[in-house]
Amino acid sequence: MPIVELHNIRKVYDSKVAVEGLTLSIEPGTMFGLLGPNGSGKTSSIRMMIGMTVPDSGNVSLFGEPFRRAQLHRIGYLPEERGLYKKMRVIDQLIFLGCLHGLTETVASKRAKSWADRLQIREALGKKTEALSKGMQQKIQFIAALLHEPELIVMDEPFTGLDPVNAALLMDTLMSLRSEGRSIVFSTHRMDQVEKFCDGIALISRGRLVLSGSMRAIKSRYPRNRVQIAFTGNDSFLRGPAILEAKNFPGGAEVKLASEGDAQKVLAAAVASGAVINRFEIHEPSLEEIFIEEVKKSFGETEAVEA
Amino acid sequence: MHNIWLIAKREYLERIRTKAFLIGTIVIPLVMGSLVFGIGILASHTKSQSHIAVVTSDATFGADLKRQLESGKDSNMKVDVLAPSDAVRSSLDNQMKDKDGTLVGYLWVTPASNPGARPSYVYKARSAGDIATKNVLQDAIQTVTTREQLVIHGLSNSDIDTLTTSINLDTSATGSTQAAFFTAYILFFLMYMVIMLYGMNTARSIIEEKTSRIFEVLLATIKPEELLAGKILGVGGVGLTQITVWMLAIFIIANSRLAGTLGTSHAPVSPAQIGFFVLYFVFGFLIYSSLAAALGAMTNSEQELQQLNMFLVIPLIFCFAMLAIIIPAPDSTLAQVVSLVPFCSPLLMDMRISLTQVPPWQIWLSIGLMSVTIAAILWVASRIYRVGILMYGKKPNIPELFRWLRYS
Repeated sequence: MPIVELHNIRKVYDSKVAVEGLTLSIEPGTMFGLLGPNGSGKTSSIRMMIGMTVPDSGNVSLFGEPFRRAQLHRIGYLPEERGLYKKMRVIDQLIFLGCLHGLTETVASKRAKSWADRLQIREALGKKTEALSKGMQQKIQFIAALLHEPELIVMDEPFTGLDPVNAALLMDTLMSLRSEGRSIVFSTHRMDQVEKFCDGIALISRGRLVLSGSMRAIKSRYPRNRVQIAFTGNDSFLRGPAILEAKNFPGGAEVKLASEGDAQKVLAAAVASGAVINRFEIHEPSLEEIFIEEVKKSFGETEAVEA
Repeated sequence: MHNIWLIAKREYLERIRTKAFLIGTIVIPLVMGSLVFGIGILASHTKSQSHIAVVTSDATFGADLKRQLESGKDSNMKVDVLAPSDAVRSSLDNQMKDKDGTLVGYLWVTPASNPGARPSYVYKARSAGDIATKNVLQDAIQTVTTREQLVIHGLSNSDIDTLTTSINLDTSATGSTQAAFFTAYILFFLMYMVIMLYGMNTARSIIEEKTSRIFEVLLATIKPEELLAGKILGVGGVGLTQITVWMLAIFIIANSRLAGTLGTSHAPVSPAQIGFFVLYFVFGFLIYSSLAAALGAMTNSEQELQQLNMFLVIPLIFCFAMLAIIIPAPDSTLAQVVSLVPFCSPLLMDMRISLTQVPPWQIWLSIGLMSVTIAAILWVASRIYRVGILMYGKKPNIPELFRWLRYS
């Protein structure tokens, strides 16, 4: 039974179609990445997922039943645009937000402190929000979304604006939450994280679903036609007929083959041309490459339709 | 309900801890109190102390006028009485030109040519703007000449005193019109002040949440109508706290010994009137705050809000204009209809209650109408709020606002 299920949802603002016929389902206990270029409808989809806005048509089900406001207490939400009360002490805000989720003040305060220790911001609790750095504020909001121990954690761009150390800290936290059995949905631009940590993904472009499914299944759909070559010397072999596309870097090149079987031919051509090969690695396209390819395709299609 | 309470509590506690609240609650009454006292004390102690000269050939008149001016009810002047001559005139003129001289003017009395007619009085002042001295002088001359004439007609001094005492018209027996005026005006100004201060604060606090963008976290747990209601109650609670402190201060001041020296008489106000005052005040506050909340929900910045705040003021001004019609005829059809309009009830129904016997059904009806209005405004405002904040950056036009109402 999926924990989140969107069925054919559609949302139109004025004349702009934000989301069109989006269907996806997220299994409990998984980490799910929602990908898409800017303005593709990620935030709109997330808002409809948690009932902030209502789809014009289509159905949203959470925890296996149609959306009800009472379910919100089982969800932790981190919006894309962060906001806290500027003049309020951090601990007071956390208690306030915890109470809104149905906690008592004592429980909220205890959990806030233990989370602050875990995220290494204990000293920030007594300060006012305006005295904190952006990154600190983001951690506070992160805590606010988790205080009531939600089963489903929904985060819109949780890593933007964080330095690598803090981004890794939050990612580790999310990973350990998943191992506790919570389900996590987040949107991002950062393909490396999605590729490493997500069990499932959905790629949205222009309000439509382009790709979705488990990471492995998606990758296996693409041919292993990418080659990473590190070499010195003559690079004339890169212009051979077996090579569709080649990007030259200092000391190497990234190559896209016309077909999966051409790798050995390219290697032979390289050796024959006299280049010194240090590394020759065949792999499937990275998520980033898939992302760019699919987004370009989706734009191309709609433009073709419009034209 | 729990959520409304949480929002209201946060709003109340955060606001009451600010410096602005302390200053507004303590410093403003202090300043206002000392101003009232200062003016009162000054007014009661300011007697004209100017130095003038009176030039007259009538020695009795001169002496009487001098007595009146030097020890009169509201003057404490220094008066020289001189006999007319050219030398005196030029000497006085010179004294007037003297920068360091104390003489502020002189009165020249020329006897009338035919007996029985009034003499002519010419007052030459150092400064044409010295109206106070002129008025005091005029009153004194009037008093002195009247008394002289009365003495001539054979009245004794005690008779004259009895005759010239001013009359005190006692109206307390005809009902507390004065009290009604008094409460209506106080209510109006309190209402106006509180609405401008706290109604606008409600709107501002909603806008603040939009700019800090915390509303998105809040809306993920609570309904917009709960948020707006909580804000109105929280900000309103702060307003009521402040008003209570002010009223207590006024009450203490009014009952203190000092107030006695100002000679203010208390308008008699019955406990029932106070009860209705409080009831209608609370309802008025809620109506106008929810209207302000709706304005806050519609706008994205302080500037936009400023442009719309006339929607708060116009109904108030309308009520104030209506006072003039309702006070003389509190039972007229117009008065009855207007006092039932929810935006006017807080001021006008309360006014009518203190002026006349209002049928209980009208009071209940007004309360019912006000409650329905508050709920309706909140409903509309929360719809506007929810849709408006999630599609920011664009000012809504009227058809869009109506369309938003249909969204849930």
